[in-house]
Amino acid sequence: MSSSTSSSDAPGAETDALVWGRWLAAFLGALALGAAAIFALVLAVDPYDSGRFGILGIEGVYDESPRTANASRARDPQFDSALFGNSTGQLLKPSELSRLTGARFVQLTVPGTGPREQLAIMDFFLRHHPRPGAIVLVTDASWCQRDPALPLQHPFPFWLYGESTLDYAGRLFSSRALGRTWRRVLLAMGLRQRSAPDGYWDYEAKGPGEFAPPIAAQNDAAPASGPVSESFPGVTLLGDALKKLPADVPVVLAMPPTFSSMLPRAGSAAKAEEDACKAALRRVIAGRPRSNFIDYRVDNALTRDRANFMDFGHYRAIIARRMEQGIAESIKSGDKARIEF
Amino acid sequence: MLFNSYAFLLVFLPVAIVVYRFADPYPRLRMPVLVALSLVFYGYWDVRFLPLLAGSILINWLAAKYYLATRRGVVVTAAIAANLLVLGVFKYLNFFAETLASLSGAAFGPFALALPLGISFFTFHHIMYLVDLRKGKAPEYALDRYAMYIAFFPQAIAGPIARWSEVMQQFGRQVYAPGWQRQFALGATFIVLGLIQKILLADPIGHLIDPVYAQAKLGPVPAGNSWLALGFGFQILFDFSGYSDIAIGLGLLFGVRLPYNFDAPLRSSSVQDLWQRWHMTLMAFLRDYLFHPLANARIGRRHRLLQHFAALILTMALCGLWHGASWTFVLWGTLHGCALVIVSLWRRYGWPLPFLLGWAMTVVFALLSAVIFRAGTLEAAWRIYQGLASLPDWGAVSGARPIFLAALVAFLLPATQDIVAWLNARPRAVIAAALGLAAVALLVELGDQDAYEFVYFQF
Repeated sequence: MSSSTSSSDAPGAETDALVWGRWLAAFLGALALGAAAIFALVLAVDPYDSGRFGILGIEGVYDESPRTANASRARDPQFDSALFGNSTGQLLKPSELSRLTGARFVQLTVPGTGPREQLAIMDFFLRHHPRPGAIVLVTDASWCQRDPALPLQHPFPFWLYGESTLDYAGRLFSSRALGRTWRRVLLAMGLRQRSAPDGYWDYEAKGPGEFAPPIAAQNDAAPASGPVSESFPGVTLLGDALKKLPADVPVVLAMPPTFSSMLPRAGSAAKAEEDACKAALRRVIAGRPRSNFIDYRVDNALTRDRANFMDFGHYRAIIARRMEQGIAESIKSGDKARIEF
Repeated sequence: MLFNSYAFLLVFLPVAIVVYRFADPYPRLRMPVLVALSLVFYGYWDVRFLPLLAGSILINWLAAKYYLATRRGVVVTAAIAANLLVLGVFKYLNFFAETLASLSGAAFGPFALALPLGISFFTFHHIMYLVDLRKGKAPEYALDRYAMYIAFFPQAIAGPIARWSEVMQQFGRQVYAPGWQRQFALGATFIVLGLIQKILLADPIGHLIDPVYAQAKLGPVPAGNSWLALGFGFQILFDFSGYSDIAIGLGLLFGVRLPYNFDAPLRSSSVQDLWQRWHMTLMAFLRDYLFHPLANARIGRRHRLLQHFAALILTMALCGLWHGASWTFVLWGTLHGCALVIVSLWRRYGWPLPFLLGWAMTVVFALLSAVIFRAGTLEAAWRIYQGLASLPDWGAVSGARPIFLAALVAFLLPATQDIVAWLNARPRAVIAAALGLAAVALLVELGDQDAYEFVYFQF
């Protein structure tokens, strides 16, 4: 230690203790007051509009990320029905579904998510809407994983959708939460516009899309060998979640289309795996009134036309409009619905 | 738990301070309580290695006791060999197995071994004590004091590598003695400045350059991005300097002044100067316990200079190997050894270089050689160097603000200990309040990021 940091020049030990004691008091005081002020601000504003805190009555959020913005949407009382999924469901318009069914739909899809994240949002929605009008879930290939861990592609704020207020409060002391707080303050002052309450944004607007890199159909070369188990961890979790729903709530599961070259060849192991997953999904809604599993993952004129797709996995609006009709028909007529695709 | 985590800053540290406050009035309790807190800290990382640490303390202490009772030098030699063997098994077994396999063509390993945290550091602590014990320089210590020397939580994981003579007498002293308020103020300042270095300077560079190094392992680096990779030199400086400063600050909160580890090394005018200012406690260890014995060994009087240089290069090569079980670390160390030899020869036979020229050459060499240190493989390092042939991608460079900021701080600001002394030349409440608010901002920042581990923990 240099002498300048190891000895004291203060006239006496008592003065020394007093002045450095004041230093410590100022340090700890600023730390405590600063932390308390920040915590009070985020609690007063409730940066994610999750309904747990917030005393200022600010409506909605100004937040481009559906990962966090969907908490506000999922508890919005103006909606009674919801659409879940990932980017493969983003182009479905909640306003169209509402017009076709008479229900009031909100879009709660989040790009880059799988079963665990989507079920967390669904659970949050159902806690705020115990008797929903209808539930629509776009079940892409992520629901057909065999890995029981259902690994995440990207980090997801489970604490935002979970039941623990303490967990949520623990996440509010962060620069991200402070940023969201500031945005809600701007919203309250009328300096920013609220993000779309129904959650729709035009996924096609994010760019032209491209069919690259060319991905070969999965495991296409391997021929099928023997029966395939219909036990998929994601589908099992979905079955458990749906059991908590009132028995008369219609549920529509829609497997989204991909460009036809992505489909596994008949007789392949991949095809057997996919068929098993579809059968498992069909089974979880079997017996539920006005419910249906719609298989859009098929080879037909629509899915063979590149113009109908942004890339191998994401369809364009022309297909979205067809899907909306099929979903609406299913909510009316269940598995007797006439699906035109 | 990491120093830069809520678990440490908001739970362990306040609890440890309060627990120790109650033990402080009782001299017999002071060291046992701090040892217990240190073992909790170590066990929280990985409880599997707690017996290794405790066993290592006990066996070395018993060896020292036995040596003092019998004066049989072989006891110390065996204890040092055993320490190196344990380090060798955990850290280098796979490295030697791989090297042997590539030379012989036979298959050895890999062996599934996890590296016990801090083993490189506590092995050196044991060796320093044992060597000095045999030389008659070090006295016998009670078990609780020896355990403190090895396990004291602020420095057990990654240093600073304190000599027994620097710290032993400080252990067990009353912390809440007259003047403790000033020591706490200095400690708090060190901790805040250390966290600033880690969270605001080092981590943002990591976010920026990790993808570049990941790409270099897979294939050519996109034109111009290689320049970002040079930021690693700044990242590791502030990562480790930040860690060391937090450790020094924590030491002060428990009445122990740990030695400084950095002295604004990127303001050095030569590589020699650099190594007197970078990881100073490791270099002091290597100088006294490796280089001097090698350079002074009676091999032959005729080639003293040659022996001196060979010892220098060998010391630095082993310094590289200590950082990691890979030939890239050995190469990095050897390059620095050669640079030290060249500087030494230049001092003898060349003309004095202007400060700015010496400084620029030192910084360029440090940043370029750090690429080998970070890249993991020679191939990846070579790809980064090849990428430097293209001009920087201005799009990428404009996002490289964290590197520019770190460079400015590294080139212009003095060492943390000087800043701490300047800030606290006299007690000023406004400085204290500013540091308190900075601590709030750092805690807010910590609330978001997935805490990056300190780079030096892997060594």
